[in-house]
Amino acid sequence: MKAVLIDDEISNLENLRTLLEKHCPQVTIMATAQNVSDAVGAIEKHQPHLVFLDIQMGEQTGFEVLKLLPKRNFEVIFVTAYDHYGIQAVKFAALDYLLKPIDIEELITAVNKVEYKLTTQIQNLQLDFLLQQLKKPEKDVSTIALPMQNEIRYIPLVEIIRCEADNSYTYFFLANSEKIVVSKSLKEYADLLRPNGFLRTHQSHLVNPKYVKSWLKEDGGILLLTSGQKIPVSKANKETVKQALQRI
Amino acid sequence: MKRIIFTFLSFFIALSTVNAQKGINFSHMYAAGGKLLMCVDSSAKNVHYNNIFPNQPNTSFNYLPDVHNLSIQINFRNNINIQHYRYTILVDNKPIVVNKSIDTAQLKNTNAGGDEEVFRSTTLGIFRIQGKIITTLVYSTENPLDIDKSVFYGKPIPRAKIKFFSKLFALDHGFGSLTDLKERTNFSFAKKDKELTIIKDKSDLDYLYYTSIKDKQTNKIIFKSTAWEYGHFVDGNAYLPHISIDKNIFKKSGDYEIIIQPLIRWNISSKEKEKYTTRHTLSITLEERSYTKKELLIYTLIVACSLGLVFLIFLYFTKKRNKQKLAEKEQQKNTAKLQLNSVRSQLNPHFLFNALSGIQNLMNKNEIDNANKYLSKFARLTRNVLDDKELISLSQEKTLLDDYLQMEQLRFGFKYEINRSENLDLANIEIPSMLLQPFVENAVKHGISQKATDGKIMIAFIKQANDLVLTVTDNGNGFDTEKKNTGLGLLLSDSRIQLLNNIYKENRFTLAIQSTTNGTKICLTLTDWL
Repeated sequence: MKAVLIDDEISNLENLRTLLEKHCPQVTIMATAQNVSDAVGAIEKHQPHLVFLDIQMGEQTGFEVLKLLPKRNFEVIFVTAYDHYGIQAVKFAALDYLLKPIDIEELITAVNKVEYKLTTQIQNLQLDFLLQQLKKPEKDVSTIALPMQNEIRYIPLVEIIRCEADNSYTYFFLANSEKIVVSKSLKEYADLLRPNGFLRTHQSHLVNPKYVKSWLKEDGGILLLTSGQKIPVSKANKETVKQALQRI
Repeated sequence: MKRIIFTFLSFFIALSTVNAQKGINFSHMYAAGGKLLMCVDSSAKNVHYNNIFPNQPNTSFNYLPDVHNLSIQINFRNNINIQHYRYTILVDNKPIVVNKSIDTAQLKNTNAGGDEEVFRSTTLGIFRIQGKIITTLVYSTENPLDIDKSVFYGKPIPRAKIKFFSKLFALDHGFGSLTDLKERTNFSFAKKDKELTIIKDKSDLDYLYYTSIKDKQTNKIIFKSTAWEYGHFVDGNAYLPHISIDKNIFKKSGDYEIIIQPLIRWNISSKEKEKYTTRHTLSITLEERSYTKKELLIYTLIVACSLGLVFLIFLYFTKKRNKQKLAEKEQQKNTAKLQLNSVRSQLNPHFLFNALSGIQNLMNKNEIDNANKYLSKFARLTRNVLDDKELISLSQEKTLLDDYLQMEQLRFGFKYEINRSENLDLANIEIPSMLLQPFVENAVKHGISQKATDGKIMIAFIKQANDLVLTVTDNGNGFDTEKKNTGLGLLLSDSRIQLLNNIYKENRFTLAIQSTTNGTKICLTLTDWL
C-alpha cells in the first residue's frame, strides 16, 4: 500500500515514518511533504493509496491539498494536533483522523480500515462530501455520512427521526421507516448533531425535535413522536429538553 | 383753626405802652393758648410756650422754668361778645379768681403786628411764677363746656417714674396677668403671653409724657405712644396711667429701651433734655413655647429617637451603597483578572500537542535522554501555564521562554537569543506571567517557521530609566500590523494589554509593533515599572 505523508513539521514526519515502519509494514512510504505545493506534486507523482494529511500546516490547511487535486482516488487519514474547525467536517464525512501525539492502536485500526476499503473497492465520495461541507458554515450542515458495513450512506439530517444506543453501536431511525446500524457510539453522534438541534433525551436516546409530537406528562417524562414511538426523557435531561421544545 | 391763626398772628404784637414793670419785657408776647398771650422776664431763657398735646386740644402748656414774673393778657376780636366771657385763675391748684367777667373798662385797642385788624385787649394780672403752677380757665357762658385751659409751669417738670411692669397672658378662659414685675430687666415672653404693660406713677401732668421703645440692636424706635390708659392699676385711690404693648412688636430676643419723656417742643440741648427723660432697658427673650419638664423630656426623646432613626437609616443605606460599590469594584477587578487568566492560559493547544508529538518522535528514535529533557521542559511550561500566578520574576520568565523556544526549536530549527541589560535584577523584578510568550509564539509561527535554520529570534529585557522595555525581534517575513486577524496570539495580546492597564492603573503598558518584510519587532514598555 503506497502512502504519502504530509506535515509541516519534520519531527512529525519522522515520528509517523518510524511508527508506520514498525507497526504497519504493509504501508510503503513513497514520499513526505512539508507544504501544500510539494504535497500536491508528490500525490500526483506517486498516485498513493493512502495519504496522511496534517490539517494545520503553518498558514495553510491540509484541505488546500485536496482542493488542488482534480482526482481524489485515494484514502485520507487526517492527522491533527488540535483543530476545532476542520475536525467537525471530517467527522460529518465519517473520515478517519488521528490526534497527535499518535496513538499506535488508533494508527493500526485506521490503516487496517483503509486496507479493507481498498479490497472492497467502495467508491470514495467522502472527500468530495468533506470539501462541500467545508464551504458551508458549520451550523448549516444538512447531511451526514454514515459508515455502514459495505457502504457509506449520506443521510439528510431532516430524515433522521431519532437515534438509539446499543452498546458501541448506534441505530438510526429514518423517516422512511428504515433502520440503520452504525458501529460508533451514540455519544459521538450526540456531540456531532447537538449543534443541529438534536436532543439527548436519555442516555440511549437522541431525538430530532422536528419529529416530536407531544410531551406526555403522565409518566414523568415521555416524548411522543409523530411516528407514534414513545421516547423516555431522563430526569437529568428534563429541564434542557423542556426548554429546547419551548423554543421551537 | 381761626384761633390758631390768631395766636400766631398775635405772636409779634407789640404793645404801645412799654411798661418795664418787674423786669417783664412787654414788647415780646408769646402765645399762651386760647385767647391768652403772655410776656415774661426780659432775662428769661427757655420759654416753651403753647405746647398742645394729643387728646388735650383745649389745653395749652407753657413751660417756664427760668421765668420769675409773668404777665397774662387776653385778646378778643371785635365780633366777640366780651361780656359773656368768664375766667378762673388757680395758683398751685388754689383758686385766686373764679368765674370773673372781663373788666370791659380796662379794654384797649391793640394791633396785631402790621395787621389791619384791631383787637380788644386787657391784662388778667402779673404773677410770680417761679416754683409755681398757674392755671387759667377761660370760657364763654354761651358755650360753657368749651373751656380753654392754659398751664404756666414755673417748676421743673418731674421725670416720669415707671412704677412696675405687668404681663398679660392667655388663660383657658380669658386672660390673667402678672404684676409683681418691679425692677425687672429680664423679660421672657412665652407663647401664651400677650402683652407687656408699663405702669407709670400718677401725676397731674400725665398727658405731658409719651412712651417710646427703641431696639438697642438696630437703634430704631419700634414703638411710640402718647396715650395713657387708666383703670386696672390703682395706687391708693388714684388710677395709675399705663400703656399696653403687644408682644408682637418685639420681633426678636434682645435688649430694648423704654423711654418716657415730656412731649415739649424743646429748644434746649439733648443733654439737658436727658434731665426730663426716663430710660429703662429691658432684656427681652421670646420663647416659642414653654413646656413642662415632662413634656420637654418626651419631646426631646421623640426628637432624639427620630434623629437616631434617620441617622441609622442613612448609615444603613450609605453602608449598603458603599458595600455595593466596593463589591462592584472588586467584581470588576476580579472579572479583569479572570479574563486575564483565561487569556493567559490559552497557550496554543496546537503547539502543546505538536510538542508532545516531537517528544514522541525522540522516543521512537530512541533518543531517550533528549526525550527526557524535552519532557521536563514541556512539564515546566505547562505547569507555568496552569499556575494561576499573577506575577513571575524576569528570570522565571526567561526560563519559561527558554523552555518554550527550545520546544519550538524541536519543531522548527531556528536560532534564538535572550539578552538583558546588565543592571537589571532579573531575580527580583516581577512582571505579569506569560506576558511575552504570545509575542514569541507569534514570532515563531509567522516569523521564522518557514525559514527553518535561517530563522532567528532575539528577545531583550531592557532597563530604560524607570521603564522596563521588553522586545521580541524576528527576521521572518513580517505581517501587516493593520490587519487584526494576524493570529490568535497578537489579538489576545491586545486584549491582555488592555486588561493589564485596567488592573495596574499606576503603570501603563504600551505595545508597539514594527513589521517589515525583513522582520518584525515587538516592543512592550512597562512605564515606571522599575
